[in-house]
Amino acid sequence: MAFLDNSGDIILDAVLTDTGRLRLAQGDGSFKITKFALGDDEINYGLYNKSHPSGSAYYDLEILQTPVLEAFTNNTSNLNSKLMSISRTNLLFMPVLRLNKTSKTGGTNSKSTKMYDRVTTNGAGASAGSAYKTKFVVACDQTTYDVFNGAAATTTDGVIQGYQHTASVVGGQVRVDQGMNTSQISPLSGLDSDLLETQFIMELDYRLGRLARPNSMGVQNVNFIDDDNIASYYIAGTDYISPVDNTESVASASADDPQVFDGPRGNSLNFRLRASTELQYSTYLFTQIGKTLTNANVGDNVFGITAAEITSSPAGSDAKLYYIDSTVRVVGANTGFRIDIPVRYVKIQ
Amino acid sequence: MASTFKTLLNDDVVSTRTLLHEAIPITGTIVSGSTYNKAQLKTYTHGMFESTFDYPYLSSSANHIFDMSYGHHESVYSALETAKTAGTATPYQNQKKRDIYNQFAQVLMGYDETGSIRHFDSDGTLDDGDTGKMTECFFLSFSRLLVKDEIKKNSFRLQYRPSGTVDLIHAGAAGAPESTTATLGDYASANEYYTSPAGDYSLIFTASADSDDPTKSVGLIFYQAGVVVLSSSMFSGGEATALGALSFGYSGSEGDAASWGEVDVGAGALAAKADGVQHCIVSGSIENAAQGFRNRWIDCDFNNTIELNSTIYFARINHNEFNYSANPTYVSGSKLVVKNNVNDLPITYITTVGLYSPDNELLACAKVSEPIRKDPNTELTLRVRLDY
Repeated sequence: MAFLDNSGDIILDAVLTDTGRLRLAQGDGSFKITKFALGDDEINYGLYNKSHPSGSAYYDLEILQTPVLEAFTNNTSNLNSKLMSISRTNLLFMPVLRLNKTSKTGGTNSKSTKMYDRVTTNGAGASAGSAYKTKFVVACDQTTYDVFNGAAATTTDGVIQGYQHTASVVGGQVRVDQGMNTSQISPLSGLDSDLLETQFIMELDYRLGRLARPNSMGVQNVNFIDDDNIASYYIAGTDYISPVDNTESVASASADDPQVFDGPRGNSLNFRLRASTELQYSTYLFTQIGKTLTNANVGDNVFGITAAEITSSPAGSDAKLYYIDSTVRVVGANTGFRIDIPVRYVKIQ
Repeated sequence: MASTFKTLLNDDVVSTRTLLHEAIPITGTIVSGSTYNKAQLKTYTHGMFESTFDYPYLSSSANHIFDMSYGHHESVYSALETAKTAGTATPYQNQKKRDIYNQFAQVLMGYDETGSIRHFDSDGTLDDGDTGKMTECFFLSFSRLLVKDEIKKNSFRLQYRPSGTVDLIHAGAAGAPESTTATLGDYASANEYYTSPAGDYSLIFTASADSDDPTKSVGLIFYQAGVVVLSSSMFSGGEATALGALSFGYSGSEGDAASWGEVDVGAGALAAKADGVQHCIVSGSIENAAQGFRNRWIDCDFNNTIELNSTIYFARINHNEFNYSANPTYVSGSKLVVKNNVNDLPITYITTVGLYSPDNELLACAKVSEPIRKDPNTELTLRVRLDY
């Protein structure tokens, strides 16, 4: 999309999104506009210069000169960051969402929530800078899970069981915490109720995965799937959301409930992912939108596992490793703050 | 509670209708075939009409402008068949010309009380016997791309050369171009128009001075259908010396659609036939007739009309709303970057308005051309218009 002409009067460029057109074409009354929201996707608030020598009238000079793009018709490409209404004007800090990449060793949801990392030497020397360490891995079947989880007794972090099985849930899960990332406010003061997230919106590619409960095999019912196969889930309730302890600092937090925010904390969201049926039982999508590696090509910077681990698996000596990188978006339904979580669906066959 | 959505109330949604007009010029160089050496003129094996594009039609950049055809009434068909049997005439595509006439007539004029297809009537009166009945007609059907919803009344003008030989029209070696021109127009339509099964129509005159006399009408224009029906008599003024005396401006072999050509165009330009319009429409093909018309076309202009049905959504933003942002750059270490202390006012900058369904799906999106500052001291109303 091009920039809008900003040389004269302020103009408003409006388009129907693809979802809007779809619903209009369906003719079933589902095209009904009932509310609006405002966004500021193009704005970089880092340009707000509070020390401008000419005074406060010049603080936002650069921001006001920001050129604005034409509207996208793809519904998921617009309004990624929304403006919010809070009646108070005296807020100086706001809570954000962060991944809690720790391992909780006690209480409910006591599972590893770290990103993928090989903790055994089976990874043949996985280096600190390896790209795979910045993702969660969703194993699409038992064979893949066993290989990625490692042959040693120690469990590999960040590997999510992305398939249905009869035994109890093991493997990793994802934890997102809400809180204030500042040491200027004690966590004891708690998070104001009007900023607390009690509901989250999750968006993920429905061709690839489903939202699964953290402590059971069940998957969550999807609320809406748009024309681009992006599924939206509205998550609330204790299956997924639990309050975070506000009594301890990050350093002193117990292993039962490790913390990532120095300041006041809100709720935490725990979830797992289930690979779609197509990914579990077919390699078609992997060959279409993913990558295929022969077992000789797996390595440190891709997965940190060896060819021998793959060839010695039930998949056999000719097995290939397939993977698709994707993103899961978590949005706070109250404040609109969001976080994008990288995930990698993998399959050995 | 913080909130990111604001509900639109009944007073915030208004529906309107707007008529938008565009000026459409169709110059003679495109229509006659000289600009692109006929590559913008498309003919068909059935030979019932030919299409004019604004660019060589094999290109994906080409836009269809209009189709031109010729047709005559059943009575003409019967007379020509009789003459053919008697050996006094050699009509060509006689049946196709009748079919074209009937097709346009049944769509545009409808049927009379007996169920018969009505004649085209140049004076607009359908109940006065044969007065004004047009039996030999040229049909210009403009594409929807140009007409959009309808042709604006009293905007149609077609300048052409009603007389003269084609060699002189095209400034050949024989002499100067023909200087006599006429401009057809729906001059009276601002005050007077009629209705038909295909919508409104009006009379076409060769001069505005004639527009108060319906008997001087030479054709009809159907505004919503985007079709102009012209009597072949609009050319006969230059044919006072009867068949063969003046050239209508067509070439190629009569009765052979495959060999149609363009006068003065291209390396294989064909000499114009020295026959008048009456000879052409009887013995020539429909494409011959269309070609003769196009060679006398100077310019055509009309305004189209686009009917925009709009819904306007008033996004009313009160002073205490939308003063905070979920933009990742809005906070640094959870602290608002636009504030130094708690007493500073929060500031945001609006670039986008999203219109949502009850289940929070984005149905429409609007962008402002420059960021709009929003703080607790300001209130805004953004007017978002969606056109359908």
